[in-house]
Amino acid sequence: MPTEQVGVIGAGTMGAGIALVCTRNECPVILLDANQAVLDKARSYIEAALEKDVQKGKISEQQKEESYQRVCFASDMQELASCTIVIEAVPERLELKKSIFSSLTEICASDALLLTNTSSISITEIAGGLLNPERILGFHFFNPAPVMPLIEVIRGKKSSQENVEKAYQFACDLGKVPVLVADTPGFIVNRIARPYYNEALRILGDRIAQPEQIDTIMKRAGGFKMGPFELQDLIGIDINFATTESVYSNFFHEGRFKPSRIQQRMVQAGNLGRKTGEGFYDYNK
Amino acid sequence: MTTTNRIVLVTGASPLHQELKHIAESNGYHVIDMDQLAEYKEQIELAIEVNSLDPEAKKATIQELDSTLAAHVPIVATSLSVTATEIASWATVPDRVCGFGTFVPLVERELIEVAPALQTNSYTLEQVKAFMQSIGKDTAVVDDEVGLVFPRILSLIINEAVFTLHEGTATCEDIDIAMKKGTNYPYGPLEWADRIGLDEVYAVIRGLHHDLAEERYRPAPLLRKLVLAGRVGQRSGQGFYTYEEQEVGQR
Repeated sequence: MPTEQVGVIGAGTMGAGIALVCTRNECPVILLDANQAVLDKARSYIEAALEKDVQKGKISEQQKEESYQRVCFASDMQELASCTIVIEAVPERLELKKSIFSSLTEICASDALLLTNTSSISITEIAGGLLNPERILGFHFFNPAPVMPLIEVIRGKKSSQENVEKAYQFACDLGKVPVLVADTPGFIVNRIARPYYNEALRILGDRIAQPEQIDTIMKRAGGFKMGPFELQDLIGIDINFATTESVYSNFFHEGRFKPSRIQQRMVQAGNLGRKTGEGFYDYNK
Repeated sequence: MTTTNRIVLVTGASPLHQELKHIAESNGYHVIDMDQLAEYKEQIELAIEVNSLDPEAKKATIQELDSTLAAHVPIVATSLSVTATEIASWATVPDRVCGFGTFVPLVERELIEVAPALQTNSYTLEQVKAFMQSIGKDTAVVDDEVGLVFPRILSLIINEAVFTLHEGTATCEDIDIAMKKGTNYPYGPLEWADRIGLDEVYAVIRGLHHDLAEERYRPAPLLRKLVLAGRVGQRSGQGFYTYEEQEVGQR
């Protein structure tokens, strides 16, 4: 069983989900957030998820209690000093992440594994200029973290082989399926999935087929679980657009990653998908 | 299905050929090939042409069908690498030409896309839809562009996976695992390419690049090389993965 003391920074949807994954796999975890309201919400979320595990008969009442006790909630980064592994899951802003890792390199032991859950920022850039950059790696969960089995373990330019192996093993200990990726824009999934959205948008723009028809074709001819437009509505059209823009920009504007004007207009109109009630489909009905 | 003595012709070098022949026969059609064209020319109800990789051969076949078959007989051609409109332009009776497109294995396709050319008449389109229905496939009618919808989108996903592989970003296996476990794709893009045939995928991308002339449709150089080397996937025993002899043609 893993004996690592894990710290998770950022108690939003991702961070809370990651903390839940840790405790379900018997890893003690400190969940850190500067915002008390966010921490409280994460606490109720974890409690409710563990309660559901009991109701489904997956764990006993006592196991639930033990799991819950394994999670500590903190708001001061100094409390992460004892952590041997820290996973950062704060919003995708380079300066914010850099300042967090800069503090961590001082607070944690010099051989602590420092992981970032970024989906779009270069690991090499986050680690750039910091002490012991060989211990900084990407550790990319997929949303929702407790459900999706994949973790992309991303090797920054200066990450060491030893730490790559340690992170890989840690992902296995968490019951996840890890894959190894070099530090490139979009890593594997966000890059290779780009044409699923971009080309569907292009086909729409060229009036070859309509969103509903394209979704039907991809499901019934291709066996995909969800069509590209349904999926954009689910993910959030703004999130999807931002990912495309990031990959496009980080590949220095290679033509095949070019974002779609149709998607941009949806974002500008505030039609972001399910979360706003309207996207490519209408959810207000 | 007890349709008997209905004769369709299937021709062209694509893995679709054998599967279409098989599925048509199991739905009661008598399926003939090109060298029986003269013998059966009065009885053929519909002709299907499925060459994706060689436009010259495709053109020659379409012209031979067009000059031999009566003017009302539909000629249905894969529009995976050239548009249906261009295919129809090769015929003297262009209104009986219609495009369609899909990938093997057909058993996994509930629905097949049909793309009428600008010239296709409504009688032809109805005949094509009725034929697809008669072999148990629903149809979606889409506008005419190279690769239609599903083959086009999937081919570009595969193309991006090949770029990713060739750059050394991750291994074949990890790329496939990531796309299945991270986004619920039914297959990883590289194993999928091996199942479809790399030549079929390459034909779609090359056709888009030729017709639309944009950088976004540039074929991954490794994909092109694998096709030239004859490593087209399961069918040839080697593609992105290597297959044991007993697996070839099995999956």
